[in-house]
Amino acid sequence: MWKNSSLRCLLALAILCLRSSVHSQEIGSLGHPQNLKCVTHNLHKMICTWDVSPRRKHGQTDFCYAANDLPTPVCFKTKEKRVEIPVPHSSSTVTITTNSISGTALATKEFKIHKKDILFIPVAPRVLSLTPDFSTSTLNLKWSDNGSVFPDGLDAVWQIQILRKETVEKVTQVTYHSKLTHEDIILSWNWTSDIPLECASHYVKIRCYINVTQFVGLKEWSDWSPVEVILGKDTDPSESGVFPLDTVVAVGSDVTFCCIHEEGQNITNMSYGSKPYPMIQLSSRSHAIRVLNASASDSSGTNVVCRLNNGMMEGTVLFVGYAPDIPQNLSCETPNFQIIKCSWKPGRPSGLYGKRRTMYSLFERMSGKNVSCEVNEMNRQHVCGFPVLPDQKTYDFILGVSNPIGQAESSLLVDITQRVHPKTPEKLTVSENNSTSIHLHWFINGSFAEIRLLCQIEITSGHSEQKLHNVSMPGGKSSAYTAHLNALHPYTKYQFRVRCSAADHFWRWSDWSRVEEYTTSEAPPARGPDIWRERSSSGESLKIFWKPLPLSEANGRITSHEVSCYLLETPLEHKVVTEPTNSTEIKLGKNDCVISVVAKNQAGSSPPSRITSMELPSDNIITGQAMAMGNGINVSWDSYPNMTCGYVVKWCRSSGSEPCSVDWQKFPSNTTNAVIKSALFKPGVRYNFSVYGCKSTGYQLLKNITGYMKELPPKSAPNFTVEETSSDSILVRWEDIPIEECRGFLKGYLLSFAKGEKDALKPRLSESGNPELKVNNITNLTQKSMKILDLQGKTSYQLELQAYTAGGLSPPNSLYVVTKEDSVGLIIAILIPVAVVVLLGVVASIFCYRKREWIKETFYPEIPNPENSKALQFQRNICEGNKTLKTLEMNPCTPNSVEVVETQSAAPKIEDTEMMSPAADTTVPEDGSDSEMENHVVVSYCPPIIEEEISNPPTDEPGGSSQVVYIDIQSMYQPQIKSEEEPEIDVVTTAGYKPQMQLSVNAMNTESRSPVEEELDKTAGYRPQANTNAWNMDTPDSPGSVESNNENASFGSPCSINSRQFLLPPRDDEDSPKPINIGWSFTHFFQNKPND
Amino acid sequence: MWECCGAPRPEGRRGSACRGAGVVPFMALLLLQRRPVAGRALLVTGSSCPGHGLCRSNVQEQTRRQVALLNATAQDLFSLYLKCQGEPFSSESDKLCNPTGIFFPAFRVNRTSERKEVMVAMYKLFAFLNASLGNITRDQEELNPTAKELLDRLHNTTKTTRGLISNLTCLLCKNYNIFQVDVRYGESSKGKSAFKKKQQGCQVLRKYVQVIGQAARVLLPHLSPS
Repeated sequence: MWKNSSLRCLLALAILCLRSSVHSQEIGSLGHPQNLKCVTHNLHKMICTWDVSPRRKHGQTDFCYAANDLPTPVCFKTKEKRVEIPVPHSSSTVTITTNSISGTALATKEFKIHKKDILFIPVAPRVLSLTPDFSTSTLNLKWSDNGSVFPDGLDAVWQIQILRKETVEKVTQVTYHSKLTHEDIILSWNWTSDIPLECASHYVKIRCYINVTQFVGLKEWSDWSPVEVILGKDTDPSESGVFPLDTVVAVGSDVTFCCIHEEGQNITNMSYGSKPYPMIQLSSRSHAIRVLNASASDSSGTNVVCRLNNGMMEGTVLFVGYAPDIPQNLSCETPNFQIIKCSWKPGRPSGLYGKRRTMYSLFERMSGKNVSCEVNEMNRQHVCGFPVLPDQKTYDFILGVSNPIGQAESSLLVDITQRVHPKTPEKLTVSENNSTSIHLHWFINGSFAEIRLLCQIEITSGHSEQKLHNVSMPGGKSSAYTAHLNALHPYTKYQFRVRCSAADHFWRWSDWSRVEEYTTSEAPPARGPDIWRERSSSGESLKIFWKPLPLSEANGRITSHEVSCYLLETPLEHKVVTEPTNSTEIKLGKNDCVISVVAKNQAGSSPPSRITSMELPSDNIITGQAMAMGNGINVSWDSYPNMTCGYVVKWCRSSGSEPCSVDWQKFPSNTTNAVIKSALFKPGVRYNFSVYGCKSTGYQLLKNITGYMKELPPKSAPNFTVEETSSDSILVRWEDIPIEECRGFLKGYLLSFAKGEKDALKPRLSESGNPELKVNNITNLTQKSMKILDLQGKTSYQLELQAYTAGGLSPPNSLYVVTKEDSVGLIIAILIPVAVVVLLGVVASIFCYRKREWIKETFYPEIPNPENSKALQFQRNICEGNKTLKTLEMNPCTPNSVEVVETQSAAPKIEDTEMMSPAADTTVPEDGSDSEMENHVVVSYCPPIIEEEISNPPTDEPGGSSQVVYIDIQSMYQPQIKSEEEPEIDVVTTAGYKPQMQLSVNAMNTESRSPVEEELDKTAGYRPQANTNAWNMDTPDSPGSVESNNENASFGSPCSINSRQFLLPPRDDEDSPKPINIGWSFTHFFQNKPND
Repeated sequence: MWECCGAPRPEGRRGSACRGAGVVPFMALLLLQRRPVAGRALLVTGSSCPGHGLCRSNVQEQTRRQVALLNATAQDLFSLYLKCQGEPFSSESDKLCNPTGIFFPAFRVNRTSERKEVMVAMYKLFAFLNASLGNITRDQEELNPTAKELLDRLHNTTKTTRGLISNLTCLLCKNYNIFQVDVRYGESSKGKSAFKKKQQGCQVLRKYVQVIGQAARVLLPHLSPS
């Protein structure tokens, strides 16, 4: 609104002039007063000024003003053209008369001044002080509001302008509002500079505007106050350095640093920490950097360094931390009503140390007392003490926390009588009353006279649980306290310690005092010992046993036992047995007496324990078994109503190297079972218990019981032997296991057997997993032998015998037995197969004989005579080309080569399908070399493929010289040995079995063969093994066999003459399939038959 | 390497006042104050050296060992000090810690100097150092209260110099009947800015590292068992 104040001021003046000219009434024109202007600075007086026209020398001026509130006009003379008159309530008439130097009136002019024509301009404010705070870069401006001259309650507006640097640049202008109170008030205003005050000069000026609402005239801003200046360090030629110095700012602040150097020097760079920053020039000697969002610094602060071109370095340190956190968990208590200790947790560390650390103060509102707290910043828990004030119980604390960045506080209202935390009791001592009661004394430093104390005494002894005993007592002033403890146990070592608190308003226990130990004195034993007696086996003496009294009943150290024997109140014998013996023997003969035993310690004797030596006769004593239960043995018995004084269970170890140690336990009459526990009981050991009933006349044995605390598996297996062996049975016999090794009640035996040879490495039968394993469970413990039946003759068997209890199986005992041989069975086993084979042979022979026609027709139909076949005439030319062929010369044109082809469908069963390889079809040599072919054939034996070539038929051969090619059904068999990777070899190796004798028919050149013939050749089956006269003893791979076809004769078998011995390696004899040449067999069979 | 910021330091005294093993108890009255002004160190009370029992038999050897110990630990102390002051003290220690502008007692003795002269120079040196180390320790307790190791080293070094001064006092008195030596102390850092405190400590320690080596070399032939 007041931004364009200058313009508004001019406008107001113009209006005022205009109004003055309008409202003033001009009286004369020479030396006439004109332009009357009135301005007030305080609303009471106004200063009116005017001009005189024309301007020339004149004398005094008569000035009169009249107003409604003035009874008469007020006139006075003045040499100036300025008067100060009161501000009229509404309007005022002013008459100004200009006089000449001689005193004659030159001109008179009357002005009418209305209040609205008066201008109100406050006096320019006067700055009282401008104080810099260089550490915070803050300027503090103080000025007076001059309010005493104005009515109360006026609004004042203050405009403050900050200017900076040598060039007086305006930095900011702020408006400050206040209310005038009709008093001169000193106003204060702080401004924090964004650059340190040291870095540049700062200028401040102020003006005001008073908003007088009831003033109808014009209101204007005051003039600016004179400028106040805070000079920067750059104006001092001797100053240099980096500023601000040792400033503390909050994390995240933006900070400006400047480096002021001497004239003539230059700054090379400025860095914050290790990071350089761009510089801003403030003046010729001052440069600045601006660090944004400063992060927390180390405890020694972050260094800001300015490097000068002469190698010098200037620096400062910035400490960046946090404002103090609000104290947490503030708690106050008094340990002694002399001081109140308040503790708290400081929360987040400020990161500021040394003189910048967080300071704490404790202020109590009610008393107005304030104490500063010395706390160690490193401690997590901070404590501050405040003195207890007389006659004040309630305290209203404010814990103030401050550091250079900020401050916080936390408050607590506390009644210290309800916040008593006494100090640790000291000087704990014990004084004894008697063996069961004592006095405890202790001291607590503090004045607790106003409250009652509740103290807790912890009582610990070796044979009882820890006890806490609470005692309430009136508090004292640094006094000793006493508590009485009774019901203690004699001759017992106790440990005492004490802690205390306020009784009425419990707050906290003190710490425990140190432990005080005390042993109570002895007292006579509380009762007599537990006693038992046993007569010796001879019955002449009586052995008396007693149990040592427990510490809780011995009441001291038992020194001896007194044993007496009374017969009708007459002492027969008296013995004193010193510790630690707990038995004695008295010779009674056949008499009976009442035994009395008394335990003695230094304080006295116990009441006597009595028992009669008489044992009542018993009939039909049964022996039972006891069950293990937990870590004891459950013994039970029947109820005997006539047993008036209870039962006694006595036990003793049944075995062992040491003498029998008698122990016993007494039970009331209504008891019929008990779990007997003893630290001496061991698992797997048999204990014998005897249950006695108690009558007034004596004890009577009622029952014997054996039992185990825990059953274990038998330690060893029973020894067993084989009594008898047959071809199908074994009789075994075993012995009992000694009781010590049973380690439990025996439940039975497990007899296991299976076939097996004796072998040290063999596992146990039960672990072997043998499927033939058979197990016999013998639960009849009286059975000591067993016959194993249904065994095989002449067979080795492994036998194992184990005993078992509820605890498990014993380790096994093993035996190996071989059953005897069964001769009848062997004979039968041989005869029956032989008979069956013979019978089958006979039946087959008969069958074949009877069905021979059918067989022949089916498998070997008669071969037609080729000479009768016209179909063979096409081979005449072949016959003619070969003069050596003489076989079928019945007809000169009779073909000498006949192929008899039987269809595949008529082929008999194919037995070796592996031989059916198409690859074998390619094995026919193309060059027609018979000898080579022969040689190849012998490499791979294939019995079903038999090719016969008769080149030189022997003269004695009845068949003549005609060439016959038989393609038998066996030609179906082709070897299938070819490997694709070895194609060349395949020609040889996949040829399968070839006829062992080559036909010498030259005309059968493969080149001249038709594909059909080749196919026939490839599938050539059985061929007659040919001329036996040509059989040669040479091996096929001998040189001779290569040179002569005839020399490739077979030997031995007509089926595979050459190959049997030489062609097939021994391995092949075993592994390779052995096709059964049924075709050959049957053909041969029938060919040798008579011609029928 | 050292960690500058260590665990919080325990409360209480940081060790008893060092008393040279070679000095009888009343020698604790020796001038060991840290006044950072020039002055005259009063070695003993009274106007002359006491007669008997002033020095123990091994004082010479112990003095040699103390100088050797200070020489051995000086560089580490300086390095740790630099580390704890933050950057750029470690990286630009040559410029920041240039001791040109500060006072440091002249140590113009060598192996051929007279033994008495050496002893007096040593006394002046370690009296100055003791006061300066006291100032540095006080400043670092304010600036680096969490740097336990640095403070411990400063305390130990101060204690050793204190013991050394006692032993030198004893030797000067016993051998040369010198019981007053003019000592000039350095400028106090009190009231200076944190940066100036850091820089002054750094300058003193750097000079200390240089001089202590020289002192160890010079002192060795004079204190070796003859």
